[in-house]
Amino acid sequence: MNSETLNTLDTYSKNKYKYGFVTEIDNEKPKKGLNEDTIKFISQKKNEPEWMLDWRLKAYSKWKKMKEPKWANLSFPEIDYQDIYYYSAPKGFEKKPKDLSEVDPKLIETYNKLGIPLEEQKVLAGVAVDVVFDSVSVATTYKGELEKLGIIFCSIGEAIQKHPDLIKKYLGSVIPPGDHSFSALNSAVFTDGSFVYIPKGVKCPMELSTYFRINAENTGQFERTLIIADKGSYVSYLEGCTAPKRDDNQLHAANVELIALEDAEIKYSTVQNWYPGDEDGKGGIYNFVTKRGLCSGRNSKISWTQVETGSAITWKYPSCILKGDNSIGEFYSVAITNNFQQADTGTKMTHIGKNTKSKIISKGISLGKSQNTYRGEVSFLRKADKARNYTQCDSLLVGNQCGAHTVPYIDSKNNTAVIEHEASTSKINEDQLYYCRQRGLSHEEAVSLIVNGFCKQVLQELPMEFAVEAQKLVSISLEGSVG
Amino acid sequence: MNIQDNYLQNKKNIFFSENKDIQNHRDKLINIFENDKYDKKNNESLRNINLKNFIDFKYKYQIPEETSVINNNQENSYSIVSVNGQCTSFKDDRIEITKILDEDYNDFSKNNTIEKNDHFVNLNSLFLNSGFKIVIKKNNNIKIKISNIVTDDDLTIFQKNNFICEEGSTLNLIEEYENKNNSTSNIINVIKLEKNSIFNHFLIQDNSPNHNLIITSHSSCKKDSTYNQKVYNFSEGYVRNFHYSELIETNSEADLQGIFFLKDNNTSNNKTSVKHLAENCKSNQVYKGILNDRSKATYFSNTHVNEVAQKTEGYQLSKGILLSDNASYFSKPELKIYADDVKCSHGSTIGPIDENAIFYLRSRGMSKIAATKILISSFINEELSSIDDEQMSEIIQKKLVRYLSKVK
Repeated sequence: MNSETLNTLDTYSKNKYKYGFVTEIDNEKPKKGLNEDTIKFISQKKNEPEWMLDWRLKAYSKWKKMKEPKWANLSFPEIDYQDIYYYSAPKGFEKKPKDLSEVDPKLIETYNKLGIPLEEQKVLAGVAVDVVFDSVSVATTYKGELEKLGIIFCSIGEAIQKHPDLIKKYLGSVIPPGDHSFSALNSAVFTDGSFVYIPKGVKCPMELSTYFRINAENTGQFERTLIIADKGSYVSYLEGCTAPKRDDNQLHAANVELIALEDAEIKYSTVQNWYPGDEDGKGGIYNFVTKRGLCSGRNSKISWTQVETGSAITWKYPSCILKGDNSIGEFYSVAITNNFQQADTGTKMTHIGKNTKSKIISKGISLGKSQNTYRGEVSFLRKADKARNYTQCDSLLVGNQCGAHTVPYIDSKNNTAVIEHEASTSKINEDQLYYCRQRGLSHEEAVSLIVNGFCKQVLQELPMEFAVEAQKLVSISLEGSVG
Repeated sequence: MNIQDNYLQNKKNIFFSENKDIQNHRDKLINIFENDKYDKKNNESLRNINLKNFIDFKYKYQIPEETSVINNNQENSYSIVSVNGQCTSFKDDRIEITKILDEDYNDFSKNNTIEKNDHFVNLNSLFLNSGFKIVIKKNNNIKIKISNIVTDDDLTIFQKNNFICEEGSTLNLIEEYENKNNSTSNIINVIKLEKNSIFNHFLIQDNSPNHNLIITSHSSCKKDSTYNQKVYNFSEGYVRNFHYSELIETNSEADLQGIFFLKDNNTSNNKTSVKHLAENCKSNQVYKGILNDRSKATYFSNTHVNEVAQKTEGYQLSKGILLSDNASYFSKPELKIYADDVKCSHGSTIGPIDENAIFYLRSRGMSKIAATKILISSFINEELSSIDDEQMSEIIQKKLVRYLSKVK
């Protein structure tokens, strides 16, 4: 490696996390630790009905018997579940503010810093936002407009109160609480998150969006998102995440369930930029997320797009269960790891119905001393006639101390199903670099251009609002980069 | 019978049972078996197999009466008949064949490339009852053909062979496994290639439905050496091919290839793994399978590139054709890369025979079956046409024709 490359690598590794500020705000927390009392406290705080508490307690009793899944290519000290606050709310949120004027101005300031269009005039940009601060959903904007169409977009806490039928029917139907230990944990202590219901035949006219932020120290965030697209409907949902810089590791274990009925389509995009820890690998968020979508009706479609740049540890496998005939599952992912970050991410496509199709495009970029793993499973069950899958996972290695790994599991039980899988790993092509530099680009610009080109296939899948942000994020991640 | 009882009862005719170190190691293994929960999901060595056959087996071994023969018919060519895993000692100025020694056991058990929880490797270490060691001396070019014969029903062969190619030597080895009786062979081959040596290793497997064959090999390549392995699996019984390769010095190459033809209720488990531990090495792992009826196959491939192994080229390819509704194929092509200046890739496909191709052939007047057969032959043509040895090519063609005759 030449000295220039080393220099640029060095500059990059010093690149700072700009969302690392802390908002000084009074918090309300229960005692540290997890036990039945904590769960009762959460349930009571949220004013939940009896059946919800029972549901949580059942999940808790399952969790007690379970062990964390160990198969991922990650190494981290054991998580002490008793050393975490399971609920943290900015004070004075027992009653939800009716409009933005009642929200603590400090909060508004925080979100302004993050560049989130909370205020109504910004909402006109066309994004409806639900903001989750630590454990409480702060404000949902643009609500009235959506209500006219019959779309329900609110926090899950509110949905439990107002739409118990839908919650009872669908909550836990895609990710059963007993699926694995993180889903059980989330089911027991989930605090807030978003709930979306799109009625029959409605095309949601705007992008729905949630912004998650962990603020308080030693807090875990356990959000739960449930999206139901009824027959013939369409929705595009965005999710963004940030957290302040802290020396301790914080836990984030979310569950996201999507249900697409007949002819419905759900598009779910994530830009995950939790605090990744500093250059020495200190601090950062442990991100253990379970995301699963069920294409239950015919001709339904679920599409996951993710840009993963943050978190000390990413453990995330957005998956699709293609149950309805002709249903489609898609997964587009860019994962960038730097310093001591570890990412083990991928997807799981389970083809059950006839003529089901899935497509997986995964791009991994490892820098510094990070480890980046793609882990994906594609399985065709007996009845998945004429099912089709295409998988492509490419990895780019920058520097010789990082690792890029690809672990696909491919299982076919049907002889009419066709599956294709391709993967490649390499460093940035010298010839391409040379070409760009010859045309007058600096080393940095050239690398940024090549990496952006490498990710383009995924980034272009993002909705406009996020595409710009994501592209910036990739450029920032590569600022002063690579070789 | 349980594994521990089996062992204690038959300790006398198991190799090296007087050696204390080995005994200690075996005690540990017994402990592992006692506590094993046989987790089929996470233990690659147990996937898709009928556990009962391999846990509750009855140990039986017979020392062969007729000593195995070595026939030196041509100058550089040898034929060996190995009976029940044993082979008589032989020595000339080109090769040397001996029994395996205590030290060879240890040499293998320390090896960390092979996974610790591999059920069959542990069984082999515990019940080891046969095996031999072949050394090819410096700068010789040798051809060897080994026929592996098991004499009686119900025998359980636990065999360990050592192959050592000294500096500058070339070995062409054809191993045949064609057994008709109801027995189990569990074989481990430990292969060492010194500087500048070449080892072309062909394994032809064609056993009857009641014969279980478990082959595990571990090869390590030093500077400028090349290990080529080709596996042709036509067996009607269970076959497991697990092959590991380590490229420990620069400019070495490992090429692990295999094709398998399955039908009826047959199962085959395959694994290849290459560890790149030095610069400028190349590896290639290619497995192709054709599955008919209710057959099942797994293929795990793995390329591991160490931090120091810059300029590595590592390729993997896995292809499967499913001919029937009830066949299933599982593949897991893995890449673990810790160096940046590498070119590594894998490709994996599973599917039926291309309908367009069938249509093309049928529109030219062929029957559907004939078209299918042609397409199957062309699917593996690359592997078949690369065989230099005419005699061997003929043998394999015949076996292919026999398999195709059952395709409907």
